[in-house]
Amino acid sequence: MSALRDSLRGRVWLVTLAALVTLFLVNLALQPNLLTPNVLKSNLTVFLPLVLVAIGQTYVILGGDIDLSVGSIVALVNVVTVSVIAMTGGETGGILLGIAAGILTGLACGLFNGVLIAILRFQPIVTTFATGIIFGGLALRVLPTAGLPVPAGYWRTYAGNVLGIPTVLWIFVFALLAIAFIARRPFLTHLMATGGLRTAAFQTGLRVGPIRIGAYMLSGLFSAFAALCLTGETASGDPLMGRLLALSSISAVVLGGTALAGGRGSAFGSLLGALVIGMISNVIFFAAIPFEYQTLTTGLITLLALAGGVLVSRR
Amino acid sequence: MTQTPSAEPSPARALHAQGVTKRFGAITALSSGRISVGKGEIHALLGANGCGKSTLCKIIAGTVSRDGGTLEIDGRPADLKSPREAEALGVALFYQELSLVPQLSVADNIFLGHEPRNAAGFVDRRRLIADTEVLIARFSAVAGSGFAAGTNVSRLSPDQRQIVEILKVLARNPSIIIFDEATAALDKRQVDLFFSILRTLKAEGVAIIFISHRMDEVFEIADRITVMRNGETVAEYGAGEVDRDTVVHDMVGKLADHQREARPPRPAGETPRLVVSSVSGGRLRDVSFSVAPGEILGLGGLQGQGQSAILQGLFGAEPFARGEVSVDGRPVRLRRPADAIRAGLAYVSGDRGRDAALHGRSIFENIAAATLVSERRRFVWPSALKPRFEKAAAGLNTKYAGMEAPIGSLSGGNQQKIFIARWLATDASILLLDDPTKGIDLGAKGDFFELARDLAAKGTSIVFYASEDAELLGLCDRILVFNSGAVTAELSGDTRDAFHLTRAAYGETA
Ligand SMILES: Nc1ncnc2c1ncn2[C@@H]1O[C@H](COP(=O)(O)OP(=O)(O)O)[C@@H](O)[C@H]1O
Ligand SMILES: [Mg+2]
Repeated sequence: MSALRDSLRGRVWLVTLAALVTLFLVNLALQPNLLTPNVLKSNLTVFLPLVLVAIGQTYVILGGDIDLSVGSIVALVNVVTVSVIAMTGGETGGILLGIAAGILTGLACGLFNGVLIAILRFQPIVTTFATGIIFGGLALRVLPTAGLPVPAGYWRTYAGNVLGIPTVLWIFVFALLAIAFIARRPFLTHLMATGGLRTAAFQTGLRVGPIRIGAYMLSGLFSAFAALCLTGETASGDPLMGRLLALSSISAVVLGGTALAGGRGSAFGSLLGALVIGMISNVIFFAAIPFEYQTLTTGLITLLALAGGVLVSRR
Repeated sequence: MTQTPSAEPSPARALHAQGVTKRFGAITALSSGRISVGKGEIHALLGANGCGKSTLCKIIAGTVSRDGGTLEIDGRPADLKSPREAEALGVALFYQELSLVPQLSVADNIFLGHEPRNAAGFVDRRRLIADTEVLIARFSAVAGSGFAAGTNVSRLSPDQRQIVEILKVLARNPSIIIFDEATAALDKRQVDLFFSILRTLKAEGVAIIFISHRMDEVFEIADRITVMRNGETVAEYGAGEVDRDTVVHDMVGKLADHQREARPPRPAGETPRLVVSSVSGGRLRDVSFSVAPGEILGLGGLQGQGQSAILQGLFGAEPFARGEVSVDGRPVRLRRPADAIRAGLAYVSGDRGRDAALHGRSIFENIAAATLVSERRRFVWPSALKPRFEKAAAGLNTKYAGMEAPIGSLSGGNQQKIFIARWLATDASILLLDDPTKGIDLGAKGDFFELARDLAAKGTSIVFYASEDAELLGLCDRILVFNSGAVTAELSGDTRDAFHLTRAAYGETA
């Protein structure tokens, strides 16, 4: 038993994977057509934004910080993208320009957070809470009410296939590749050192400030990706989009075995954690639980999944 | 061929620091630091605890910025703004408190910031592991079990961590290395191996500064010796031209005897309040002592020799593996702090942030924490407790806005008094002080010692560890000197002075 625990410690995501498989089987029992390509694809479409935001959030948390502004970044990127597309006309060039503007917006938001926290030494929770309000306010300024549809070329591509494979699956695979790419860069080790013991990282000669800013920019970037997906899904602009993403993404990160204290964990675990959160709402939906109990049950299952990880990682 | 004596520093200066000053708030850590090291020279830096050795080293390594003075590296003035810049000039520092990230593996720590990369800029894991194994192989015979490239540093023993820190320094291929108490946790075989590595480095022309606990080591390996006292460099000589007593005298200075405060002699034949017999476990090896009511017992010696371990063991925070403890003649089992609190023990640590403070909570709640445990209270009526706490805190001359003010609004010294108040309110009979004045200003230190003396006069037994010798000498009736987890000397009466304390701490019989 202790040998098992030893090999599990540091790989809490195995527990998350087990939870995911369990939930998947339960879902399959409740919804026999789960394995048909269309249902799988629509599930993935629903889960993808949280998966992406949780990946970005992981890097911030690994560095010992936190980003509560991700939801507002998603909203801001969404309204910037749809506004730029609308301004440039709905041609392919305009769409690409809108996407680029959205990605730059996400990066800029991350840079702003990072500079406040890593250079000016503001406290991360309070700062990103406040910048979240600012980004949300900017989103309302850009697009006061929901609307402004995106051209069909955008959402058809998102809902359709590329080279015979669903676009959402492509994006999922690219997310996996991005995780693998980042995991092999020295940056990730430096980030984990920064989150693990900041004085040691500094004494070792790492540039702690730019490293933390880099993590916030990754979070902004992945939030932008999530916003572009949500834009494809809703096919319009909405300044109030992504309200719950901050806390859901943190839950996903913790479910995936990343320590909130920083220095330990993986983006792959967070990806699994995000899928677990998605599957929980699926199961709740298909289990025909009365509406007034759904939120309660979601909370209890999330707690249960968390407890599994805590039990194996605790000595 | 004629050999010139080694009295002069070799002409090829690797490092020269002069008149270096540094203040931390009200504390002057360095008033005039000087050290000069030649290429291929092993230079010992000696001085009592708290005299500024580590601060001088951190200034040379760019971790701490200096307030004044000059620093030359390889003959050129160096104005270091970060450890990065020092490293670029070939300086590497073994940090006394280590610079390892516990969550990362041995390999990741050793090559942190210097990971071998392939053409595409990815970490070359295979080479990282291979390079680490080559380094580890140098220590494989003495490193003990469970020491591999992939092991997390959090799972290593203290000596293994020191070896990792040594390897991390070596991996940087520096031309100037500073080892700040690098042998503190190492055993004899590990030290021998470390010294053979030092000799190889010396032959390669590397300049080495070596700070050590043990006089034997210093005279075995050093070419030259610099002695510091109270933030100032006071002597420099070739190792061959000086004897140990001269070195110890220079470390202690003429002030030695004035620092001693008269304490009333202890009455003979008292029944002890606290008896510790043959406790072991962790770093501790078979430690026994007793403390009488009203006595202040000091724990001395170089840092990290088991003094904190004893206090944390007594408080049940790091329980002993073996041995017995009794309070007022009754044996007690101390497996967690609640046991210790109920046995009448109280613990105040200098690491307020880590050990004691309930951050963001009020002063009231911070004081109440211990009372609630000692009286096994489940329900609390704040109005009933408040007058008691106000009385305890008032006795300490503490400035605070009100019981409801957050703990963070107090200065370090006043926070520390609040933690003492926490225990006064429980009527503890034994007070354990674990380097309690770390980082608090001189005025607050004075108040704090005044309070400790008052408590002792009223019969409280105090066990006191301080990382600064002057504090021990100023406060204690008796001092136990620790070395490598064991008590190696007991100083009282005539031997309770700075000379004997320093000599015993540096590994000679008092
Ligand atoms: N970061 C710091 N903040 C406040 N005081 C410090 C700090 N670092 C060292 N000091 C103080 O400076 C003095 C010298 O400390 P140090 O250089 O660590 O001495 P040594 O290494 O010789 O034992 C001590 O009085 C210590 O308390
Ligand atoms: Mg030191």
